[in-house]
Amino acid sequence: MIAIQAGDPDALSQLYDRYNGIVKALILRIIHNDAEADDLLQEVFLEIWNQAKNFSAQKGKPLGWMITLTRRRAIDALRKRQAYARAEERLRAEPERQPLAWVQNSTAEDISSGDTRALMAKVISSLPEAQQQVIDLAFFRGMSQREIAAHTNIPLGTVKTRLELGLKKIYDSLKELKDEF
Amino acid sequence: MSFEEFQNSARLYVIGALEPDELQDFEGARKQYGAAAEDFINQCYSLHEAFALSLKPAKASAAIKERLMSMVRERSERQSGSPGA
Repeated sequence: MIAIQAGDPDALSQLYDRYNGIVKALILRIIHNDAEADDLLQEVFLEIWNQAKNFSAQKGKPLGWMITLTRRRAIDALRKRQAYARAEERLRAEPERQPLAWVQNSTAEDISSGDTRALMAKVISSLPEAQQQVIDLAFFRGMSQREIAAHTNIPLGTVKTRLELGLKKIYDSLKELKDEF
Repeated sequence: MSFEEFQNSARLYVIGALEPDELQDFEGARKQYGAAAEDFINQCYSLHEAFALSLKPAKASAAIKERLMSMVRERSERQSGSPGA
C-alpha cells in the first residue's frame, strides 16, 4: 500500500494479482452478474489507486479497507442500476445457492490459505440459519433492519436480535481465532 | 447506552444496518466512549474481511487487468508530467 500511495503502478498490479479473486467474489455475491462484476472490479481497483492516500495502516489492514470500499461500491451499483428486481429473480432461480453459498469453502487459488477460508466458513456456518439469513441480507444486499423485516416478514425486533446475536458470535469467534495464532 | 449496547450497535454500524434513529444514539455513545469506541469500531471491520474471505474466489477476465493498468499508467504519466516515460 505504501508503494501504491507513492504512485507506483507495479504495486497496484501486484495488489490486483493478489486480491482480484476475493474482490470479484464479493462483487459477484452482491450484484449477481458476471459482466457487471468485471466492470465494477476495474472501477474498484481504480478507486483503490485514486484513494490510496486515504488509507491509514493505523486504522486497519489493507484488505479490510479494500473489502469495505468494494462492498460499498457494489451495493451502490446495485441500487443505482435498480437491479434489485433482477437480482431477486436470479436469487429465486438459484435456490440451492442461497442463502448459504457464501459460507462454502474453496480450494482454488486465493490470497488466503484454504485453512483460513475454511475457518471463516466454519464460523459463519455455525450460526443458526435464521441468523445467517438476516446477516446475508444486511451485508451482501445492504438492507436495513426495516427492509429485512419487510422482505422476510419477520418482526423488526426479531431481525435486530438475530443480527446482534449472529454478528457477536462471528466477532467473538474471530477474536478467539486471532488470539490463538 | 452501556458499552455492551454500544458494542452491539457498532457491529450493526459497520455493516450499515443501523436505522436512522439508532444511528443518532450510536453517535452520542461514540462520543461518550471516545478512543475506546473508535478502537472497537475499527476492530469490528474485521467482520467485513471474514465475510469476504468465506467466499469462493471468482475469476476475472484477463482483459480487465490490462485495461486497468493501461488507465493507471496513463494517469500516472500524466501526473508526473512525463508522457511516454
